Amino acid sequence: MKFPRLAGINRDSRRGSLWVLLMVLVLTLLGILVWLAGRYEASLVQSRLERNAVETVTDIRSGLTRNIQAFQALHAREPAPDAWRGSAGELLREHREILRLEWRNEALQTLAYAETPHRTPVFERLERGSVQADLNLTCTAARRLSGAAYSSSYFAPQPGGLGLEVMDMCLPVVMAGRLTGYTVATYSLQDILGELVGKQLVRGITLSFTEADGTRLALMGVPSRGSRIFVAQQLLDLPGNTLVVRMDSRQGAPGLFPNVLTALVTAMSLALLAVLFLLARDMRRRLKVEHDLGEALAFRKAMENSLLTGLRARDLQGRITYVNPAFCKMVGLQPEDLLDHRFPSPYWPPELASVYQQRQETRLSGNQSPRASHESVFMRQDGTRFPVLIMEAPLINAVGKHTGWMSAILDVSEQRRSEEISRASQDRLQASARLAMVGEMASLLSHELNQPLAAISSYATGSLNLLQGEIEAAGASAAACTMNPPAEGATAPALFDDLQLAMRRIAEQAERAGKVIKSVHDFVRRRERVREPVAPQSLLDAVMPLVNLQSRKLGLQVVTEVDAACPPVLCDRTMVEQVLLNLSRNGMQAMQGPDETSDAGPAAGQRGNVLTLRIRQAATDAQSRWVEFAVIDRGEGISPEAAKQLFTPFFTTREEGMGLGLSLCRTVIEQHGGFLGYETAPPQGTIFTFTLPVARACMAGAITREDLQESSHGTD
Amino acid sequence: MEPIKNATVYIVDDDSGVRDALAWLLRSRRLTSETFASAEAFELRVCGAFEVRSPSCVLLDVRMAALSGLAMFEKLIACGLLPTLPVIFLTGHADVPTAVDAVKRGAFDFFEKPFSDNALVDRIEQAIGHSAAALARRSEAFSLKAQLGGLTERERDVMRLVVEGLPNKLVADQLEISVRTVEVHRARVFDKMGVRSAVELANLLRNL
Repeated sequence: MKFPRLAGINRDSRRGSLWVLLMVLVLTLLGILVWLAGRYEASLVQSRLERNAVETVTDIRSGLTRNIQAFQALHAREPAPDAWRGSAGELLREHREILRLEWRNEALQTLAYAETPHRTPVFERLERGSVQADLNLTCTAARRLSGAAYSSSYFAPQPGGLGLEVMDMCLPVVMAGRLTGYTVATYSLQDILGELVGKQLVRGITLSFTEADGTRLALMGVPSRGSRIFVAQQLLDLPGNTLVVRMDSRQGAPGLFPNVLTALVTAMSLALLAVLFLLARDMRRRLKVEHDLGEALAFRKAMENSLLTGLRARDLQGRITYVNPAFCKMVGLQPEDLLDHRFPSPYWPPELASVYQQRQETRLSGNQSPRASHESVFMRQDGTRFPVLIMEAPLINAVGKHTGWMSAILDVSEQRRSEEISRASQDRLQASARLAMVGEMASLLSHELNQPLAAISSYATGSLNLLQGEIEAAGASAAACTMNPPAEGATAPALFDDLQLAMRRIAEQAERAGKVIKSVHDFVRRRERVREPVAPQSLLDAVMPLVNLQSRKLGLQVVTEVDAACPPVLCDRTMVEQVLLNLSRNGMQAMQGPDETSDAGPAAGQRGNVLTLRIRQAATDAQSRWVEFAVIDRGEGISPEAAKQLFTPFFTTREEGMGLGLSLCRTVIEQHGGFLGYETAPPQGTIFTFTLPVARACMAGAITREDLQESSHGTD
Repeated sequence: MEPIKNATVYIVDDDSGVRDALAWLLRSRRLTSETFASAEAFELRVCGAFEVRSPSCVLLDVRMAALSGLAMFEKLIACGLLPTLPVIFLTGHADVPTAVDAVKRGAFDFFEKPFSDNALVDRIEQAIGHSAAALARRSEAFSLKAQLGGLTERERDVMRLVVEGLPNKLVADQLEISVRTVEVHRARVFDKMGVRSAVELANLLRNL
């Protein structure tokens, strides 16, 4: 099939020559048939003619024999010449073929003679004596034969320019065993033909006597003309003379269809030709259909081969009847290994084969309707398992009979893997979110506890200060007023001392509580002191998959606007990613609204569905440079009452929310030295912005724990 | 340490407990305080026509709802109040880096809650001392400017040349006046500026 067109041409020309050959053969056959039919016809005519010729000869011979008997009867008794003449005349009247009868003696002298009454005497123009020599020979022969002998024929001219071909017969007359004379009869050859031959034999036939060399002596009937004349010749062997009887059939020119047989053969041949023509046309149509079918088949084959989806057909017994290359590639087996394979299929993992077998049997028994699609696990040849999605449809053949199942098989391992990856990254983010939340809890707790502790501490210190003042005043007054009883002076300082001690203890305990909280807090926050320069875009890239995941779920659109000139920021990327993610989620949930039954009316109706994440450089002063991140939603905005408590820990507008998101975000951003705030976006919605410091090349701005301690101590 | 008279401590914290406790503590050390529940309230009080007249300092909580302590600090810088109104940040642990950064940008100090209270008060007194010094510098500058304003055109020319260290004769040459006139002007300048020598005058002007 490398050069299908060329091959087609070859095939076409070969087919054409075959057709020509067939036509030639058929025509030849027809010709031969017609010819043979004609031949048969001719041979029939010929044989009839031959038969007629034989009969004619027999007729003539028997006629001549009868005549001989009649002649012998003339001499049955010793006739008198007159009496002989009378009976001879009678004989001549009856037999037109006999022209003259002579009675001659042993010396061949004429004793008596009689002429035929039917025509003029023969020997008027020709002297009888001129043929005496021949007659002598004939009679000699007759005597030797003791029977009739005939002379060769000769021409007897007649009056009027005509002439007759005549023949003499000499019959010896034997009386009592002794030759007494001869009877000589002169026959007209023509009349022999006319009188002795049966009339039914000569109908439509030209009958003639010819000599052996073909010279015509006498003719009977009309000489026929025509292209084809059937001729039969028969020898008439007479004693002393031999003549040829020739019959020419006048009906001898056969037509193109000489008879019914030939016509029938011809008609059938024509019918055969017609059938052949019809067959040829049918064949051409079939060829065309076959060609179209081939094209369609090639098209479908190419389609099947180009598919990435595996195709597999099975009959009702579960035998694989068809697989396409994609399927073979998928399972890593050759088509030969798969075709005609029964359960368990070679691509079934052995540990699941029994389950599959059961499933297939249930299906085959017809108890289960075919599922639109189902998932399964197949095994490659190397033993690795992979998940597939199978879609099955019944195979219905041309007559509507259910013959098997066609399955389309999709390898979903890639899809699975990407799902795994995204799940893993989600897990990672969630894990860090949980960690961040613990940190935030600690931070919140420390802050919330630190406030009252600070107050306690302040009050204690204040009290101590006041007590100190009182003690000094009391000491002074005691020194001034010596008349006061000493007991009183002694009790007051003792009370002050006790109170002072208690106050100091209160301050100490408050400080201790603060230290405990601080240590817990530091423990949780230990890992968070990692700061690295990170490109803003990469922060965005890290969260976009998850943001997109949720936006698709909620039917929202996410737009990012990133100023390409943004320098890298100094941050803990996990935490900042968490902040971005939290703000994005809040924004999307704000646009989604609490639920669809919300009676917010127009506000709900006008709610947009675009979440914008924007990164740009913020206002910069000499000391520091900042990058501003903004998350802009088109939601309902923040109500004034919610705004008051927005950053309060454990405040939330959502039922399932913990209320830590925003306060957590703020903690994270403030740890980075940035600022988290919000404002109302012009038409509707809210913009949350936060800033992060730009990473300076020399890292002079990097704040470490040591820095912190130093500065704390330095200012204490 | 003797408390400075008329000193005022502005306490800005959204937690009333802390606020009141601090006020009470400061009162126990004979310091007057003024409390604000939010940065906005404080902003209304100090930004605008306000001028620091007595030594004072600000205790600013870093984390507050709405306007944060940091933002407030920026505003104080913007209002030009910083030298005379030192800022001490109060912070929870979470805000320490922020506070440290603020110190680098000119805040007087920061304290982590719960703080060692008397140390805080001592630091506040130092801050007030700074404030008093700044105020003194400012009033000195004011009086100097007033004294300079009292000089005539010619006296100012003479002063400029004298401060450069030129002898009277050269000053007279430059101004194309007589040495005697220079001496008169010079005596009048010394008198008006309240100094006794050219060195003293130069020191005074250097502070300006």
